[in-house]
Amino acid sequence: MTTIAIVEDNADNRLLLQAILDGLYELVEYENGIDALAGLAASLPDLVLLDISLPGMDGNEILARIRADDTLRKLPVIALTAHAMSGDREKYLAAGFNDYITKPIVDETLLLSAIERWLTASRLGRS
Amino acid sequence: MELSSPGGTELPATDATALDRLRRFGGPKLLGEMITLFLVAAPERIAVARTAVAGGDVEGAERALHSLKSSAAQLGAMRMQRLSEQGEQRARTGTLEGLAQLTQELDDEFARVSEWLTHARNEGVA
Repeated sequence: MTTIAIVEDNADNRLLLQAILDGLYELVEYENGIDALAGLAASLPDLVLLDISLPGMDGNEILARIRADDTLRKLPVIALTAHAMSGDREKYLAAGFNDYITKPIVDETLLLSAIERWLTASRLGRS
Repeated sequence: MELSSPGGTELPATDATALDRLRRFGGPKLLGEMITLFLVAAPERIAVARTAVAGGDVEGAERALHSLKSSAAQLGAMRMQRLSEQGEQRARTGTLEGLAQLTQELDDEFARVSEWLTHARNEGVA
């Protein structure tokens, strides 16, 4: 099964993502950047959902490390953030995120279609 | 107690469609679990914000209020969401002015939201 790594420190957000994604994908969860980077390197998922506001290393820094790592750099990474300010989308895409989903999650089809879009692009890129 | 916009009373305090949405995502079980988590986490985040404000920790206050904003919005606690966002944005500009008062308002609002969500959880599970 396709594996999605979720990097999110808030238990309520993890529970919600499980409810939406469980059964569709294998889920692996990390609560902070240190654990996530170690876990991603040890077992490469197919896609990463990355919260921006994390204690310690934030999502932007985790992404920068993913993009700087030879093993991890091609991973599709979707930002999950409640910072919905105008211009944020462009900022996150420019930083190297593949896509951007805002919290609270109101329409789960936006999340599911973004995941499928980047999984497909990633498979095409590898073939 | 009167509050200035956007935490003000002119907008609805709660949004029940958020609860319907959670039921759609995962039935009454998810709704109940999300409410239980929120009832534990929200007062903790308010307490973290208060401690950060008292200690002059702008980033800590911003992060706690940011988390609270996101969770409150997911649970339909819209007035809490607006208050948190107001505080988060103020902290982001580098000032903690007025945030001690704001955490008190969050406490008061949480007491109301807690009743509303507890009622919804009992109804949802029944």
